[in-house]
This record gives sequence, C-alpha cells and structure tokens, in this order.
Amino acid sequence: MSAMVAIVAGGLAVVAALLAVTSSDAVRSLFALLAALLTLAAAFFALGADFAGALQILIYAGAVAAVFVFVVMTITNSDALRAAERSRLRRVWPVPAAVAILIVLMVLPALRGAKSSAAVGAAIPVRAVGALLFGPWAVVVELASFLLLAAMLGARHLGRRAPSPPPNEPLQGRDGPS
Amino acid sequence: MSSNFWLLLVPVPTLAAFMTLAFGPFWLGPSQVRAVALAGAWLTAALMLAASGVCASGTCHLLAPVFTVKVGTASVALALILDPLATVVGTTVAIVGGFVISYSLGYMARARLADLRRFFAYMNLFLGAMLTMVMAGDSINFFLGWEMMGLCSFFLIGYNMSLPRAFAAGRKAFVITRFGDVLLLAGLLLLFYEAGGVRIDALVNAALVMPPGRRSVVAVLLLGGALAKSAQLPFHTWLPVAMAGPTPVSALLHSATMVAAGAFLLARFAPLFAATPEVLAAVAMVGAFSSCFGALVAVFQTDVKRMLAYSSISQIGFMIISIGVGAPQVAIAHFVIHAIFKSLLFLSAGDMAYAAGGRTDIAALAGSSTRRPIAYFSFAAGAASLAGLPLITAGWWSKEAILASAVSAGPLGEILWSLALIAVALTATYATRAVLVGAGPSTLLARPPAVPPAGIATNAPLVLLAAASLAGGLLVGPIVRFLGAAEPDTPAFSAIVGAAAVLLGVSAAFALRRHPHLASRIARARKVRQGFRIDAVYQQRFVRPFRHLAYWLNGVRRGGRSSGIVDPLGAVPVLGIVWLVRRMIHWAAVDRVDRVWMRLAGMVPELSSFSRRSQTGRVRDYALSLIFGIAALLLLALKSPRLPWH
Amino acid sequence: MTDQSLAILLVLATTLFAVGLFGVLVRRGVLLQLIALEVLLAGPALAFIAAGARRGDAQGQAMFVILLVFAAAEVAIGLALYLRLRRCADVSDSDSVSQLRS
Repeated sequence: MSAMVAIVAGGLAVVAALLAVTSSDAVRSLFALLAALLTLAAAFFALGADFAGALQILIYAGAVAAVFVFVVMTITNSDALRAAERSRLRRVWPVPAAVAILIVLMVLPALRGAKSSAAVGAAIPVRAVGALLFGPWAVVVELASFLLLAAMLGARHLGRRAPSPPPNEPLQGRDGPS
Repeated sequence: MSSNFWLLLVPVPTLAAFMTLAFGPFWLGPSQVRAVALAGAWLTAALMLAASGVCASGTCHLLAPVFTVKVGTASVALALILDPLATVVGTTVAIVGGFVISYSLGYMARARLADLRRFFAYMNLFLGAMLTMVMAGDSINFFLGWEMMGLCSFFLIGYNMSLPRAFAAGRKAFVITRFGDVLLLAGLLLLFYEAGGVRIDALVNAALVMPPGRRSVVAVLLLGGALAKSAQLPFHTWLPVAMAGPTPVSALLHSATMVAAGAFLLARFAPLFAATPEVLAAVAMVGAFSSCFGALVAVFQTDVKRMLAYSSISQIGFMIISIGVGAPQVAIAHFVIHAIFKSLLFLSAGDMAYAAGGRTDIAALAGSSTRRPIAYFSFAAGAASLAGLPLITAGWWSKEAILASAVSAGPLGEILWSLALIAVALTATYATRAVLVGAGPSTLLARPPAVPPAGIATNAPLVLLAAASLAGGLLVGPIVRFLGAAEPDTPAFSAIVGAAAVLLGVSAAFALRRHPHLASRIARARKVRQGFRIDAVYQQRFVRPFRHLAYWLNGVRRGGRSSGIVDPLGAVPVLGIVWLVRRMIHWAAVDRVDRVWMRLAGMVPELSSFSRRSQTGRVRDYALSLIFGIAALLLLALKSPRLPWH
Repeated sequence: MTDQSLAILLVLATTLFAVGLFGVLVRRGVLLQLIALEVLLAGPALAFIAAGARRGDAQGQAMFVILLVFAAAEVAIGLALYLRLRRCADVSDSDSVSQLRS
C-alpha cells in the first residue's frame, strides 16, 4: 500500500475534476470526469482497496459515466451554446469559488494536527467486505436495493415516450366545448 | 305722582288704540276698527293741543318723571318733558297724524278686515312712538320712540304682503335706519358714560365739559343716526323705494314726521353741536348737498311718489342746512310747514292716482283737474308751497328764513346759500311741472274706470291742509320766537334773489311744457333718475358681501336653505368650535395605536414578499443554501478543538 | 499510512468535494450540473476509502459500496429528469426552469 501514489492520484483526480467543472463543452467535461474517476480508482488501488477500485472502474466509470455518454450523444452542441455557457461561467464564479475555498480552508488545520507517526493500515481483502455486507450490514443492503428499485421505477416512468396530457385544460371557446 | 302726570297721558290714546287693534281678543267690525283708530289719533291730538295751550300760556318746561333706577353710581331717570320744541313738533305730528288717519279711512275702504286692523294698529303705534320720542326727556325714552318708529315704518312699508317689492323696500329702510340707530346708540351711550345719567339736559351738560375730541366723536355719531333716519346723503337710498308702501304711510311717515326726526334729534342736541363747530359745518354741508341732490333727481322722476320722496330728501336738507348754521329754530319752523304741505301733496296725489286707475306716474295725473278737482287744487296749493311762491305760500316764508340764516353765517354760509338757491330753483321746477301736467287734458289712452267721488273723510283733510299751506306763513315768525330765538332778519337782496330763483324754476317748468323734446331728453336720463346709481353701488359694495357673510355664518350653501335660525354672532363661536373639533378629530382619528398594529400587520406581507425573493426556483441558489445549512450544522456538531463551544 | 498522509488524503477528498460543489453552483446547464454532482460524490468516496485503509476496517469499502448505490440511483433519476425536462424547457440554462409551472 502506498499512500504516496494515492496522494498523487488524488491530486490528479482533483485536477481532472477542475477541468470537468470548468469546461464549457459537455463532451470535454465528460471526458474529464472519466479521467477523474479513473484516477480515483488508481488511488483506491494504491490504498489497498481492491474491491472499491474495481467497483469504481466497473460501475462508476463504466456504467454511470456510460449513461452520461448516452445522454450526451443525444444533445446537439453548438458553438453558440458553448459561448453562452462560457459567458455565464465568467459571470457567476466568485461566490461559489469563495464557498469552495472556504470549505477547503476549514479542513486545512487538520494537517497541523496530524503527527507523522508510524505507518499503520493494511489492505483489506474482499472477503472482509463481503462478510460485512452480508453480515451486520445486510439491512443496509436491503435498503439500498429498495432505493435502486425506486430509482429504476422512477427512471422508467420519467423516461416514457408518450407524455401525460398537459395539466392545463385545452383552450375552449366561450360557449364551452362545442 | 308728580303734578305733571297728565303729560304722560298724551301718547296713551294712540297706544291704547294700538293695543286694542293689535291684541284685543274681541271681534271688531270694520266701522269699529275705524272708529277706534280715529279716536286714538284725535284724542291724542286733543291732548297735545291742550298741552300746547298749557305751554303757550305759561311756563313751558314741564317734567313728568316716569321712574328712576339706580345703576351703580349712575341714576337712570326716565321722564317726559314738555318744552317749546316738543310742543311745536308734537302738535304738528299729532294733527297731521289725525288728518292722515282720517284720509286713510276712505283710502283703506276696500281692505280686508284683518289688514285694516293691522294698518290702523301700526299707524297708531307710530303716532304714539313719535310722540314719545318728541316728548322724551331722557335718552332711553328717546331711543325707544326712535326705534319704534323704525319698526312701524318697516311694517307699514311692507303692508302689502303680497308685493315682494314692498317687503324688500321695508327691509332696506329698516336696515339702513338701523345702521344709523347703532351710531346713535353709540353716541348716547358715550354720553351716558360721561354723564352718569340719562336725562337729556344732563347729557348735554356733560357733553359740554367733555374734551373736544371726544365731543366731536359723539357729535359725529349722533349725526350719523340723524342722517340715516332723515334719508340724507349718504344714507338716502331707502326713501325712494319706501314709496312702495300705501300712500297714507308715505304721507305720514316718510314725508312729514319720521324723516324729520333726524332734524329733531339735531335740534334737541343743538347745544352739543354748537360746541363742535367743525361737525356743525359738516352738518350744513351734508344738508346742502342733500338738498341739491334731491331736487336735481326729483326733476327727472316720472313717478309722482318718487318725486315727492326725493323732494323730502331735498327739503329736509334745507332743515339740516339751517341747523348747520346754528339756527335750529328756523329748521323746526320749516319742519312744521313742510309737514303740512308734504302730507298734503301725498294725500292729494294718492287721491288723483286712485282716480286715474291706481297709476302713480306723473303722466297719469293729466286730466285730474277735471276728474278730481278738490284733490287737484289742494295738490296745486301744496306744490305752490313746496316751490315757495313768493309771499302767498307758507313755504316761501320758511324757506326765506332758512336762506336768511344761511347767508348771514359767514363765508361758509354764503356757499350754502348759493347751493340752497340752486335747490330752490330746482324745487320750483319739479313742483310746477307736476301741477302743469295735471292741468292739461287727460293723455290716457283709455278712460280709467269711474270711481266714486271722494268722501268728506278724504276731502276735509285736503282742504284744511291746503288752507294751512297757503296761510301758514303767518306761523313761521311766531314759531321761531316761541322756540326761543330771534327771527332772522332777511337781507333784502336775499329775499329778491330767492324770489327770482323760484320764478326761474317755475318758468323753467313752463318751458319744459312748451318744448317737448327737452322733456323727452329728461325722460331718457335714466342714470339721473335712478339717483346716479348710488343705490346700485351700495348694493355691490355693502349688501352683497354682507349677504355672503350672513349665508356663510349660517351655514347656507349657495342656493341652499338655511336652518331658519338666524344668529350670526352665535354662529361664529359655533363655527369656530366645529372647526376646532374637526381638526382635533382629524388629528386624533389617525388612531396612533391602530396605526402601530396596522404597521405590524403590514410587516407580515412585506416580510413574506421579502422572503419570497429567496425562492428563486434556481437550482444553484438552492444548492447554495443547502451548503450553508449543512455547513452550519456540521460546525455545530463536529468536535473540533478550535471551536469554542466544544 | 501515516497520519500525515491520511490528513493529506482527506484534504484532497475535501478539495474534490469543494470542486464538485463549485461546479454545481456555477454551471447553468443541467447536464453539466449533473456531471459536477458526480465529482462531488467522489470526494466522500475517497475519504471513506482512505479512512478505512488507515484503520484497517472494511466498513470504509462497504460505505463506498452504498455510496455507489446512491450515485447510481441519482444518476438514473437525474438523467431521466433531464431527458424529460429537455422536452419542455431550455435545459442549457437551469435558471429557465425556475417557475413551478413552466
């Protein structure tokens, strides 16, 4: 387990995340997101969390990002849209940036408190994770499956082709529906 | 009960007649009403004649006290007196009153019973009031009589209640004379304050010791009252319109007696005026201007009663001139003569107008010499006296006395003399003109309805008065001497010039007759005929603003109805209080406490709309608020050694 | 792993979270906000794994699995909503869907 690799990978992930967040093009943003996720997976591997790293690549970068890709495929991106997004970005960044920096600043003092002690920690085998998940955390897993079911049903409903009729009454003449 | 108690009885018959006719609960037939009225007037006249006999024979300063009241340090002692002035004026008033009431018996023959009673009641009341004033020995009786005369004048002018013109005329007369009465009252009160008593001799004596400035003020105030009552400039506008009353009223009140009361007042307080020479000079000037003005406007009149009204203004102006030059006795002599011929003129003119179908314009008099000969010839006699035909008429003698007293009164007197001469000439003109019109053939287009010839009740006074107006010249000297002054010696040139003026006026009237185009020029001079529109100026300047003030004080909007209760002076504090309360309510109705609550309640929607702005509907704003909320919670919860509350 | 490296890793995780937060607040396009949300979720994920590795506890990874489930559900619904929204609004600007009734 190498913390140093993890730190480097984490730093790269941060850089990629920044790119993802600040690019005006959806596709570029998506690729940056993929990069961030994959570097995070590398970080997980470096930390000895093999299962998490594998899941990250398979599901996070593989399925979730892929869904994003499907959706991005359907949009038409034009220069006008990009320019509009860029201009908006230019206008509004101070306050959120301040908030973000504030958050980071609040955590920084933790660095001071940390002492350079002996290296502790071990790689956690998958077996331990599975024992946990099917053991004490079984109820949580069930709840998570509820959540997934709800999400699936919701997505299926929202994604129907034929929309429900609009909530407004169709416009009628003065004499009522003739 | 003093020995002169019988003096108090002199006005009693008239007052008793008034009470009987006005308040008597019993029913009286028309002949009974007339009898009561006649009795009242003639009994009083008889008593007055008796009093004058007493006065003429022996001592003539009798005092009959009425009662005495002590008010603080002042003593209010009411009394009636009989002195030469009171005797002369009182006798004249009583006899002329008797004649007029006799005449009215025929004139009012066809009035309704209620109106008849009303008329004779007021006439008798008037006679009683005038005699009270004439014989008053103190200012209270004097003022009482004065006011009652004004009141009767109002009622009698407005006798014909169905005629709005009559009521308006009565109101105008009342208001103008009331205005003068206020001035008179102020003067009398100032004198009372100085004198501490009300007897007229006490007042006059107090006035003589007053500082000159105050004395002049009092004199001017008394003069104001006299001028208003006597219809002199500038208070003359009521007299011409007062002719809307019946002819006997005009004959008695507005020619012979009441309008001369102003001159009587000035004569009564003559010592006071003698002590204020500048006021006296003003008096004389006012009289001179009034006489010229009245005579001038009278020439232009087309209505005989109006002509006689302006003539009264002019003749009383003569009286005032002689008072102003310091000869009040001559003025009283002229008063007597004027009472005789002016009432005669009115009565005869009334009779001729009745014969002409009720029309009172001068042109209607034409043909009266054949229609109503007695009335016409008495009218001619009266007109001759008015014009002052030399030597044969009483008017000549009294007017000459006036002119003589004027011309011998210094440089101002000569100016007055010239003005009076102009007035004399004009007087002769209009007097002769009326007579000449009457002498001519009837110019009426339609024959007037034949009326029965006048009875003895009408003709007797006319004849007697005509005789007196011709022969009364013999009385002038004795009257003046009786009143305690020497008869003014008439310079020869004044007599000759006076006669010339009269004849000039008469010939001018003949000339007018012969030159009709001049007459038509006169007929067209409307502005002069309306008295140079002085009345219109008064309407504009005084009456209209006052009306607006009265309406405003009584809360009447324009064209609205009043509450019917007229109390301007009481309305002022009420209006003030109402305004004040309204202001207070306006201030307090704001309801400060309620305002606070309303503001609090108003803050709720304000807060709501303010808070609503945070609901932007934008995802990123909601995200931001989420962040802040969670951050706050975490800060509170997480154990970090740097935070003070952990 | 030393404490110090754990601290640095946690700082990095916080930075990831902050960057994702920044992206959610700043981006106007709905899709881009969703992408930023993914970044946001990656932050705690790293934190969990790092902490679990430090303590030698499997709960870190188990928590990561649950987090993954969250992310999947959120992406599914979010993208379904996005597709639905695209039919009736201009989804390049999330401010345009600020009324309750569009």
